[in-house]
Amino acid sequence: MTVLKQNVGILRQLNQVFAAQILQAPGGALSIQPAKSGMPTALFNSRYLHSAYDPVREAERWAEERIKDCQAGETLVVLGVGLLYHVQALREMLPHDQIMMVVVPDLSEFADCVSVRSLEGWGERVMWLTGSMTDMAVQVTQKAKRVRILSYEPAATVHHDTYEHFRLQLRDHLAQQLSGALHIMVVGPIYGGSLPIARYVVNALEGLGHRVSWVDHSPHYAGYKNLDTIRDHRLRLTVQQRMSETLAVITLAHVAEDPPDLVLALSQAPLTMAVLEQMRRKKVLTAMWFVENFRHLTYWQQMVSGYDFWFVMQQAACLDAFRKAGAKQVSYLPLAAEPDIHQPMTFTQEERHEFGADVSFLGAGYRNRRQILPSLVGQGWTFKLWGNEWDNPGPLAPVLQRGGARIDTPTTVKIFNATSVNINLHSYTGDGFDPEGDGVNPRTFELASCGAFQVVDARTLLPALFDESMMAVINSPDQLLPTVKTYLHDPARRVAMAGLSRKHVLEAHTYGHRMKTFLGAVGMASPDRLGAILQGDRQAESLVARSEQSPELIPMLKQFPQGDRVELVDVAKSIRKKGPEARLNREELLILMMDEYRQEKRDFL
Amino acid sequence: MSRALLIQLARLGDLVQSLPVLTALQSAQPERPLDLLCPSPLVALGELFPCVDRVYPWNGEQWHGLATTKTTDCDQRLAQATRYLADCAFPPYSLAYNLNNHPRGMLAAHVLSDLVVGPGEHGPMNQRLPAWAGYLRQIAQDRGSNRVHLADAFCGLCQVLPPSDIPYLKAPELELPFELEWMVRGQPPTLIGIVLGAGDADRRVPLSVWQDLIAACAEHIPQSYLLLIGGEGEREAALALEHRLSAKYLNRVVNGCGRTSLPQLVAILNRCQWVVGSDTGPLHLGAMCGARAIGWYFSRARVHETGPYGVGHYVWQRDQGRSPESLDAHNVRTGGSSSAHWPVMETVNLMREEQMNSTTDEWDLWTSNRDEWGAFYTRDGKSDEAVLRRKDTWEALSQLANPTFQMEVSR
Repeated sequence: MTVLKQNVGILRQLNQVFAAQILQAPGGALSIQPAKSGMPTALFNSRYLHSAYDPVREAERWAEERIKDCQAGETLVVLGVGLLYHVQALREMLPHDQIMMVVVPDLSEFADCVSVRSLEGWGERVMWLTGSMTDMAVQVTQKAKRVRILSYEPAATVHHDTYEHFRLQLRDHLAQQLSGALHIMVVGPIYGGSLPIARYVVNALEGLGHRVSWVDHSPHYAGYKNLDTIRDHRLRLTVQQRMSETLAVITLAHVAEDPPDLVLALSQAPLTMAVLEQMRRKKVLTAMWFVENFRHLTYWQQMVSGYDFWFVMQQAACLDAFRKAGAKQVSYLPLAAEPDIHQPMTFTQEERHEFGADVSFLGAGYRNRRQILPSLVGQGWTFKLWGNEWDNPGPLAPVLQRGGARIDTPTTVKIFNATSVNINLHSYTGDGFDPEGDGVNPRTFELASCGAFQVVDARTLLPALFDESMMAVINSPDQLLPTVKTYLHDPARRVAMAGLSRKHVLEAHTYGHRMKTFLGAVGMASPDRLGAILQGDRQAESLVARSEQSPELIPMLKQFPQGDRVELVDVAKSIRKKGPEARLNREELLILMMDEYRQEKRDFL
Repeated sequence: MSRALLIQLARLGDLVQSLPVLTALQSAQPERPLDLLCPSPLVALGELFPCVDRVYPWNGEQWHGLATTKTTDCDQRLAQATRYLADCAFPPYSLAYNLNNHPRGMLAAHVLSDLVVGPGEHGPMNQRLPAWAGYLRQIAQDRGSNRVHLADAFCGLCQVLPPSDIPYLKAPELELPFELEWMVRGQPPTLIGIVLGAGDADRRVPLSVWQDLIAACAEHIPQSYLLLIGGEGEREAALALEHRLSAKYLNRVVNGCGRTSLPQLVAILNRCQWVVGSDTGPLHLGAMCGARAIGWYFSRARVHETGPYGVGHYVWQRDQGRSPESLDAHNVRTGGSSSAHWPVMETVNLMREEQMNSTTDEWDLWTSNRDEWGAFYTRDGKSDEAVLRRKDTWEALSQLANPTFQMEVSR
């Protein structure tokens, strides 16, 4: 019997359809050669997928390294097929009952493999995943709660995009199953555009049932601003830097007092590398949502190795840049809206008079806006310009509102709602539209969430978020004027499009959605820590079910509501409630002992 | 046969100060095996205590790890803690003496024994302190005119009188690093240990002062040799001190910082005639090894509580209203370099057994003594009222002891 026939027989026992597909697969994806050890090795497009000397030993080393991180109860999902040496090595090292799955993106590659490598003795204990990426993600999440992805890079690289798609699908499916509550510390900036986003993130995480500690640095703004009175530029920068460092240490003190599962910082959060390093030493996971254009604000380059997870609002070039700079995990996470804030509203007569306009623009006075927006002046419609940094406004002076004062969020919502055509031009320091414009600004989501109509400049990432039935998209500055004219005279169409955009925000683009995605990603990347908690492993009912090692714990755990997350500190608290005269059993004493050590903070700062 | 356990989870100095109570407990019930539970890094020292049967390590690092590992839940933590205790293989104890007034000591005592004497004796979560523990806490807070030494208060806490003989630690038979071996075996006429470091930064003596002391010893005490004592943390300071010393003194100084285990340090201190330092573990260890100690007590250190235990020791106590000059991060004084404010020459004169004044402008000299109520310090050889009141203190506090435990102790 040939190897292929024998293997197909094994696969048929597992999945008849898959076995039949393998027989029909054309093969020829891999070039098979003997390695120096005599075992077959494989090449794809002239690149070796396994060692040309000893693929078995190479695979064993790979598996030995990976297995160090694997925990009991996790389902292991392997990316990368090749000749499956790595899968065999890992399978043979794992406990018999640990579930292992392999994503098979290309049947021809797999057919080549099973023509030369026997699955006997180990292939029966592997779940082979095939079909669309969505199907495979569903198969994983139906069978597993705690998933650890292991990538065999030489073979995975061949199907990089496919596997990325699979990861995203899996992340989103896992995110739908989250039931556990994390303690997340959100660290905001002192001031700036990411400050309101930090507030929205706090609300969203709390709305999802997580315990959130917000380290709000905005109360320090007055002091920080006061440093502007130092006239010497270098001196002022030095003092500002020192103040930021102090705020970073303050953050660390909050972490020490009530250690979170995860610290989520927003752009401009005053965290230093030294403080991030200390958090790492103390085993606190950190994430940064960088809600800035990575090309314009580049301080991330100095901080990139400090965070465990980066989330960015741009794709492709941005992800590459972060990875090249040394980011361990970087993911795309677009901005969103907070529908409780950004929502349709009605006006008083006075408000309509102040904020109402045919056409409005709200934003800072970047160069491209100064160049493009004057075309809207003197067109026979009312045009209002809102926002700050409009010194020397030139032809825009007559339409500039409130003397160029900064506009707060409640006023922003009024302006959006009271305007017939909102102009949304992404900032750019050059002329015209940003030729590299990719990320979508928060205003896009906020206008949509208000149910306000907008004309927006094209961004490469916009079509994946909104389509043109929801907003008017212009590809060049000269399209602005005719587009405004068109829509200004078609109120019904404007209302319909804005309604669709709001509906779509509520369905897919709130901060609640983003935080679900965020948690799905961090849970998948950290299955034994965040993933386990997110899947409910630390909830009372789950702990009771798994307390076979310490049955004495069960009565203590049963005191808690089933869905409550229970940690050492909670059990210790319930023991202490028994009062000073209580006699404690050995397990209770040990719990209290560990809780004493848990509170040790002496070397945190 | 029933066994008893004494729990001391604090630092080196406290463990050394526990030797008298261990000795007293052992002589009170010589037939009963007495074990010691102490921090893991100090086990090797505990094993040299003649009155102790077995020494068990308490691994704080491991407990901290158990409590803070992010990947484990309550169930796993508890299982690991149980496994930790099983691996330690503690025998059953009929009685645990706890010397530590903090929850870890109290909990450890109750984990290992049903009957506890000392803090926690009313229950693992009961904050009510036994009389002697309350006395110690009050002293720590109020700094009154007490004269009961900490080591003797430990005895009171365990309901025994101070030992009739002052305990000493013998030198173990073991190899020393070559340079230290040469110095110790060479039997120099006067070997002086200089304790460089201190656990608390505010108890560290500036390097410039040590520099002056070494120079003064070398100049005024013929054929004296000086041994720098300290742990890993003092290596850098010791090197800096060596760099500051005049070349003519270098052949009189050996740097032992970070180069000895605790048993090796005991072996070396057994050969020292003198040991000088602030209120630190090695200073007390030196005293227990038979060296005569000269303590420089400042900051919160008080001679009457923690002066070197025994007889023949001296303490220069800084005026409590004054604090020594501030130190920078490198243990160097920031306010000038004069040693005028430190009793350098006075210390050298003590070692030369010369008559001298017992006070300077800022420091008072105290001399150690001992009687049936334990160790005490006097100035100018005169016992004052406070010294005499120790008997009353002992009697008053002993009457307040829990009769259940008294019974157990006597049994």
